[in-house]
Amino acid sequence: MKITIKPILTLLLLVLVSACSSDDATVVQEDFVVAFENPSVSFGASEDEKNIDLVFSTAAPENGSVEISFTGTNATYGDTEDFVTVPAAVNGVVTLDIASGAERASFVFKKLKDAVEGTEKSITLEISAVHLSDGLSNGTTSMQVAFEETAALGGQMAPEVGGPNEPNQVYIDLSAQNQSSISREAWDLAFYNGDAFRVAINSSLYMAVAEHDEIDIDAVTAEQVAGLQASVAVGTFDAANTAYVDVPSGDIKGTAIKEVSEVDAANKVYLLNMGSKIGTEEPETGGVNTSGDSRGWMKIRVLRNGNDYTLQYARLEDTTHKEISVSKDAAFNFQFVSLISDTLVSVEPEKDKWDLNFTVFTNEIEGYGSYGYADFVATNSKGEVSAYKVDAESKPYEEFTISDIDTEALDTDQRAIGSSWRNGGGPGTLPSLKEDVFFIVKDGDGNYYKLKFTALVNESGIRGYPAFEYTLLQ
Amino acid sequence: MSLRVSFTVLSTLFCVTINAQEQRDSTGTTALEEVVVTGQYHRQSVDKSVFQVKVIPRRVIDNLAANNLADVLNQTLNINIVPNPSSGKSGVQLFGLDSQYFKILIDNVPLINDEGLGNNTDLTQLNLDDVEQVEIVEGSMGVQYGSNAVSGIINIITKKSSAYKWQINPYVQEETIGSEYGFAHKGRHIQSLKVGHNISEKWYMNGTYTRNDFAGHFGDRKGRDYERNDGHRGHEWLPKLQNNAKALVRYNGDGLKAFYRFEYFDEEVSLYDSLVRTNLNSATQTTNPTASDEIFLSKRFNHHFNLSGKLTETINYDASFSYQQQKRDVETYNYRIRSNEKFDQESFEYESRKGFYSRGTLNNLFRNRWSNYQFGYEVSAIDGYSSSLAGDFETDHIKRRLESYDVFASAEYVVSKKFSVRPGVRSLFSSKFDPQTAFSLSTRYLFENAYQLRAVLGTSPRSPNYDELFSYFVDINHDLRGNEDLDPERGYSAFLHLKKEFWAEDSAWSLKSKLSAWYLSVDDRIELTIVNTNPLAFQYNNIDSYKTWGLSYTNTLSYNKLQLSGGISFSGQSKNLESQEDFNDDYLYSVQLNGNLSYRLPKWNTVFSAYYKFTGKQYQFLQDQNEEGEVIFIKGEQDQYAWLDATVKKSFYDNRLQLTLGARNLIDITRVNTVSGGGGTLHSNATSSVLLGYGRSYFLKLSYNLNL
Repeated sequence: MKITIKPILTLLLLVLVSACSSDDATVVQEDFVVAFENPSVSFGASEDEKNIDLVFSTAAPENGSVEISFTGTNATYGDTEDFVTVPAAVNGVVTLDIASGAERASFVFKKLKDAVEGTEKSITLEISAVHLSDGLSNGTTSMQVAFEETAALGGQMAPEVGGPNEPNQVYIDLSAQNQSSISREAWDLAFYNGDAFRVAINSSLYMAVAEHDEIDIDAVTAEQVAGLQASVAVGTFDAANTAYVDVPSGDIKGTAIKEVSEVDAANKVYLLNMGSKIGTEEPETGGVNTSGDSRGWMKIRVLRNGNDYTLQYARLEDTTHKEISVSKDAAFNFQFVSLISDTLVSVEPEKDKWDLNFTVFTNEIEGYGSYGYADFVATNSKGEVSAYKVDAESKPYEEFTISDIDTEALDTDQRAIGSSWRNGGGPGTLPSLKEDVFFIVKDGDGNYYKLKFTALVNESGIRGYPAFEYTLLQ
Repeated sequence: MSLRVSFTVLSTLFCVTINAQEQRDSTGTTALEEVVVTGQYHRQSVDKSVFQVKVIPRRVIDNLAANNLADVLNQTLNINIVPNPSSGKSGVQLFGLDSQYFKILIDNVPLINDEGLGNNTDLTQLNLDDVEQVEIVEGSMGVQYGSNAVSGIINIITKKSSAYKWQINPYVQEETIGSEYGFAHKGRHIQSLKVGHNISEKWYMNGTYTRNDFAGHFGDRKGRDYERNDGHRGHEWLPKLQNNAKALVRYNGDGLKAFYRFEYFDEEVSLYDSLVRTNLNSATQTTNPTASDEIFLSKRFNHHFNLSGKLTETINYDASFSYQQQKRDVETYNYRIRSNEKFDQESFEYESRKGFYSRGTLNNLFRNRWSNYQFGYEVSAIDGYSSSLAGDFETDHIKRRLESYDVFASAEYVVSKKFSVRPGVRSLFSSKFDPQTAFSLSTRYLFENAYQLRAVLGTSPRSPNYDELFSYFVDINHDLRGNEDLDPERGYSAFLHLKKEFWAEDSAWSLKSKLSAWYLSVDDRIELTIVNTNPLAFQYNNIDSYKTWGLSYTNTLSYNKLQLSGGISFSGQSKNLESQEDFNDDYLYSVQLNGNLSYRLPKWNTVFSAYYKFTGKQYQFLQDQNEEGEVIFIKGEQDQYAWLDATVKKSFYDNRLQLTLGARNLIDITRVNTVSGGGGTLHSNATSSVLLGYGRSYFLKLSYNLNL
């Protein structure tokens, strides 16, 4: 009997041997890469100082430095010459210290003399050396500094949409490389500044509007419109509900509110579904929560007053109303009014100073009516901006040049980019970035940019953190 | 040390011990007659049972070297195993109804899991190392086993005795997963130790520990550290590591039997998301890929105390008390793939059930020559929890206690030696639903020529699940809600079984033949229904119905050392979808075949077995539009497939050492095509595929039986 113990032990040994396993994950030693954040910067008329930013691929693993050299076109370095830098250049080289743990560095470029009209004046900066182990420069290793306002050569931008509730509308100017953002709840109605007398509703709040027979705003009661309320909403899956929202293409002739007539009696009262507040609850990682509590109902009536608009508005249950007068300003697409704060508000930049609007949006799904979209990108079609999508399979982003532009394909619909830069998701799958497409955008000044989205979510997978890179085609 | 080296060492050692053991066949104690427990007043032979009980004996489990219940049921007629590769779970489908309608019990007590008590069981979480046999009863068993026993039940009977003073049985099992195998990160690795001991004539105890390390199946996927966003990160089948420990103490006294069984189970399932965020830094043209991963950690505790004995000369009692808990926790985190760095780590409870359960019966009441009664109760108080990650709810999570108090009674009338009838009734009271009633009527008739005819009628309700009760998915574009006023669904079944056993005069061969016919329906079926068209809103309601009928014919032939069995089943299903605007309730038919061959070669101490199951084309109606834009229904079909397992089991040294070599899924099934998703225009229905297996796999099991 004694002998039989040995096989058991052997078997147990075998059990132990086959039970052990090791975690053989290997850590890849990464390079430390330095680059200019953007390939160009230009001085506006009143500016004389610019920060030049450098970014790193990872936090610096140790202390080190980076050297930047420069060459000028009609510009030289010196206190009495065209420009200087802080810290100052020594023998034509600016040396920046990199502190361990830092993720970026910058220096100041001071313009001392303006460009002479008609002559190009610029400096090309170059990363000439990276002093750090495994350090190198890659990507945007040179940068152009123009002494007068010129269209940006491109770069990267992260529109501040504001996270998974997507609370902001963000206006992007590609050539000026800047963004301005405003809360979606800042405004309710947009009065067209063009020839037509048209009023648009705030589609980012999923507002909807329906014409009533009445012309006396104070006479309209909640009971009268109760039957209509269920239908006057976004996302009811009723194909006919598109009548209650503005045409999503952006065509001004397709607003849900009819052209405001010179004849007051022709301007009916409208029942206005104020849509939803910005969501407040935090959704699951990767999801969005764009709509919160209902913003209730109002009634409005718009009249013409010469070349101005007169807006009458009231809460649905009120028997008296307020009035706001809105004057057209041709520099902007629209004048914006908040019915909550009873004022005109400034929302969009001037119409030639923005190209893209990152926003929540009321689109339509054919056959199913209006449908709310997050992560939407509207082009400034009223400011002559157009765009089209390119399949990276037909031409990779990197290889796309000005000669590849298909001007026929340029789409003036404001949804030319829309939601087509991401995969839609569905039950069990979250939306994700489409990595195999990019866009060609033509701005109001006739500049062509290729533009590729690089993020839909942040590093942690949270929605509402889009990013894109773009390059001027020339 | 490689497996082969160990084996050589082992063999050498064993040569010395060949005759050190006395001759005693461990399988010699198995009774020739099949004895069943399920639905019986007391343990009795299959032939005496008024129910038709299908038995999967230990021998078959061993021949298949099955490491969980899914491996065994794969070969069973009418049952389909439905693996969910994305959650790592495997459910069961019987008569076209999913695992919500089907109950799994261990020693007559429903087994808890994180989604229910007895229902929604993940078959891969059921280890079979201490199991004596698996009993399957088809049909609604509401009187015997309460709610959610609509399509049938599986009762797993554990081993509670041994002919030996000591039984020590360690084994190792190494499996390839498809063609993937490696010592640390590929394949399946099982180690197990089982010890049984007769302390005295009355006391017996055993303990089992099994570790099952399933490294997942990669297929065209590339694992955790793959950094490209092309859908290849992660696994096709999720890796799973399971530990299972069980212990039993049994007392067999005069007029009193008792046992206490304890089970501990844990499981770690790793889900590495296929979606990789590249995180391109446009300036430096560098990337820092990240992904959102989840690790699921399940733990199950199971205590079961059973007491049975004689109250009087004739009256028996049998009572079980059990406290069980299964909890599934999840660790969510983001992962920097290149630096193998976890961040945003969070851990919380995902889903759980825990609670008390008891079932007791008094048998042989008022017994006389022609009648016999049973009274019983079944009570349970189960606390459930479901996090917002497990479902879309209005609140952060769902916490709910469901208490049920059932009483049941049945009688057996022996009208004549040939004819017996057993009517039964159960009243189900619960803290959440209106009282329900279940009925059963079973009859057995023995014909002169040894034909046995059984007719079994039964009912059982199915309680609504959390999704149906509490779902809440409302945003600007959607409105989908659960319904807390739902009633349980009602299931009915009728079965007819005709059976006969034939023998050769000299007992050289025997043939068991069985013909079955059934009809099963589920009324008040819960389905998502449009409750408002403008705005469109959905809610769960008791609205639909489901019907299925079928025939099966099975034969088992024993001839000398050969065992051969084969069966065919033909069934049709019809769905009445009042929840839809239009529907087609025509019956859709499908066929299943199975066969098994087992041959024992005594000279070599070797058993050869092969198990085969064929599942014919399965159909379902898909809504579509014809060219005129009218709604039409087309028959979507899922391709047929077959499952073939084969093993060779050789015993050495008086059965002390057993080597099993085998192959699963010899036909190499991975995916089968299915036409799914209508909604488009005609001809535009997408063909997609259902993942059923990971391909042809091989295994080697080496076990040692020390019987003292």
